Amino acid sequence: MNFKIDRIILIMFLGITAALAFLPNFVESEYLLRLITVVIFWIGIAGCWNMMSGYTGYIDFGPVVYFGIGSYVVAIAMTKYGIPFFPSLFISGVISGSVAFLVGIPTLRLKGAYFAIATFAFAEAMKQITLEFDRTFSVSFFQGSDGITLPISGHDNSFFFYCVLPVTFLVMLAHYFIEHSKFGYGLKAIKEAETAAEISGVNTTANKLGAYVSSAFFLGLFGAIEAYWITYITPSDVFNIQKTVQMVIMTLLGGMGTFLGPVIGATFLTLISESLGARFVEYYLIMIGGIIIVAILIMPNGIIGSLKIRKKLRFI
Amino acid sequence: MYTVFAQTIINGLLLGGVYAAYSAGFSLIFGVMGVVNLAHGELIMLGAFTSYWLFAYFNLDPYLSAPFAMVFLFLFGYVVQKYIINRVIGQPHIMSYILTFGLHLMIANIAIKMWTQDFRSITTSYSGANAAIWGLNIPLARLVTFMVALLVTWVLWFFLMRTETGRAIRATAQDKEVARLMGVDIRNIYAITFGLGAAITGLSGSVMSPFVIISPEMGLEYTIIAFCVVVLGGMGYMPGALVGGLVLGVAQSLAATYLNAGVSVAITFIILFIMLVICPKGILGKGSVA
Amino acid sequence: MKFGALAAVQMVSFSLNPGEILGMIGPNGAGKTTLLNCVIGIHKPTSGRIFLNQIDITGMKPHKICRMGLAKTSQIMEPFMAMTVFENVLVGALHGGRMRMRLATEKTEKVIELVGLKQYAYKLSGSIPVPARRRLELARALASGANILLLDENMAGLNPHEIDEALEILKKIRNSGKSLIVIEHIMRVVMGISDRIIVLNYGSKIAEGFPEEVVNDESVIKAYLGDKLTSLKVA
Repeated sequence: MNFKIDRIILIMFLGITAALAFLPNFVESEYLLRLITVVIFWIGIAGCWNMMSGYTGYIDFGPVVYFGIGSYVVAIAMTKYGIPFFPSLFISGVISGSVAFLVGIPTLRLKGAYFAIATFAFAEAMKQITLEFDRTFSVSFFQGSDGITLPISGHDNSFFFYCVLPVTFLVMLAHYFIEHSKFGYGLKAIKEAETAAEISGVNTTANKLGAYVSSAFFLGLFGAIEAYWITYITPSDVFNIQKTVQMVIMTLLGGMGTFLGPVIGATFLTLISESLGARFVEYYLIMIGGIIIVAILIMPNGIIGSLKIRKKLRFI
Repeated sequence: MYTVFAQTIINGLLLGGVYAAYSAGFSLIFGVMGVVNLAHGELIMLGAFTSYWLFAYFNLDPYLSAPFAMVFLFLFGYVVQKYIINRVIGQPHIMSYILTFGLHLMIANIAIKMWTQDFRSITTSYSGANAAIWGLNIPLARLVTFMVALLVTWVLWFFLMRTETGRAIRATAQDKEVARLMGVDIRNIYAITFGLGAAITGLSGSVMSPFVIISPEMGLEYTIIAFCVVVLGGMGYMPGALVGGLVLGVAQSLAATYLNAGVSVAITFIILFIMLVICPKGILGKGSVA
Repeated sequence: MKFGALAAVQMVSFSLNPGEILGMIGPNGAGKTTLLNCVIGIHKPTSGRIFLNQIDITGMKPHKICRMGLAKTSQIMEPFMAMTVFENVLVGALHGGRMRMRLATEKTEKVIELVGLKQYAYKLSGSIPVPARRRLELARALASGANILLLDENMAGLNPHEIDEALEILKKIRNSGKSLIVIEHIMRVVMGISDRIIVLNYGSKIAEGFPEEVVNDESVIKAYLGDKLTSLKVA
């Protein structure tokens, strides 16, 4: 009975993605196309966080590190080694994923607040290392706070639209897979009761690591795309904790551990910041703070999460 | 050579004392309620601003205005806990992070609205004063803060061990259900604990005000350091904040002298990460692990 | 097994034969749960060895032990709250039984039928009554395909009628060729279904044997009722 709804949602999802693929042909306004790209970009990024933290309940407070690694890998690959964009993009994802694998093994043993703080510490440490590496070892590699300027792409907005769309599509497809697979049931079981999951045969370490690494892989891709898009990166920008905060808040508003949560949360918050952020700059952050507090107090499961509970829907 | 080294250690210890002074409240709040308070730095900011305005309008010395900061922040903390944070106790811990992060955004940005982003400082007669002993400089204001850290740790320890309210707080920290059955009003205890944590944090902000830069945006940086200090010392273990603060202070000071200032920040986070992975209970092994 | 300086279970050895139901009794705090947690790998024993079909499984990860055919139900029930009963059992089949989705779904349906949870199958496991949760624990363990089930007070809190039903289910499970270790306080249950019983007290084994032997054992009576000289007076 439930699987019927799932099918419908999957078909709708595929349909919307296919329709979006033709969008640049119809949208004349560069501003609008850019805005849509940004929304899709954030859906993907929030989705990456949801994949890991939403489903396993392990709160990652340093996802931005994989975004930053992606940015730096693509920048260094293109400027220092002259590798074209698409291969560099792929390398970014792989390196982000590999770092996540190495970091995940010791870190994923930690529980609760300790995991959150450890991931946060790792992200800040990486930021400081990219900032100080060159000066400390007298080399020119990360170029410290001067940042790296990438080759000007010369591409228009529709190019980046077509970069972002497939990656976000893959992230959402991964969500669908998580909702319907052995792997996904393992993750959800870990979130609900880790010991019970373990004695029911769930290889908790492998499952958590799988989620963490795939999340990092996609974040690396997004980081690489953004670096190529804005063509200039510095450690303080790409490792900015504000990005982490944004992913967390978007997912939380939409609903953690749900398929549509990141979609709703990211769209809502991006549009709000686009419309209010410009006009009420001074009050914007106060309002965001207020929205967060109110949302946590009255709707701790997020928009989709609350809907799911009320309507008893299993998958959305 | 030896003078440089000795000076580095002294700077480190004094810095560590400052860290300990403003991290004790963070540890108390985590230890009792399991809340990682991301608005911790804002409590310091409010303490420092209390002293700043009392100094600016009434020319009141920061050390004399410290009690006002304590009272103000106790009330502030009590109300925030009672009406806001209490409502997420018992929910997944992420709720408390996000909630306190929301508080951080609101408090910091309202403060910007009210007082602008300007950097301020309090210049007292003793702001730059140093005691010179054997060719070493000891900044007096930091020394006083160090003393305050020791005093706060001791008084808090005494309070928790010897008073009725202190016992109720410890009982609640160990097992809130049993404490409730024993007739402890949990919500009130939580509010008092948060108030206390906020009060000692405000006190630290106040005694630091003669030598730090005061601005509405100062908070986040302090929250992050408090994080490190408390993890190093062992989360929820009160004397741990002192130990963690001193260790971190000395480590940073050594890194700043012998490498460079930027590296000392990197080292802070590397230490924090390694510490969590190897020994989440802290240096003394007495922290609580969820 | 030691917790800090406190030895929770010491010098206990026992074996389980194929197709057998082994009852395990003892006063509260005797170390029954700790002992079974060591067996399934939640705790690492500080000394001693555990063998499953001659294979040393001491110190293995719990999920590996589960996949080798040892599953335990928990005394403090821990269902995956946000999942339906069906999905709870499915996790056992998918991960413990290492089955593909289609096979696992079939297995889950069978197990749910067997333990009589059909009416709750699509309810959230957090919302079902205690007796059903007890059965859910059992179903999750069964779905993993384990040959040995360790039941830790799986009938606590049930009324006599529900206990009878649960006993029927256990007999069905035994008849399908599985072995069981049953921790239970309800004497009627232990005496009724156990082939053999071992008694723990203060972390040591104080008796072992057939049910009728054990109930007449001097030290067992002492452990449960205290010294015979102690008498109860109601004034």
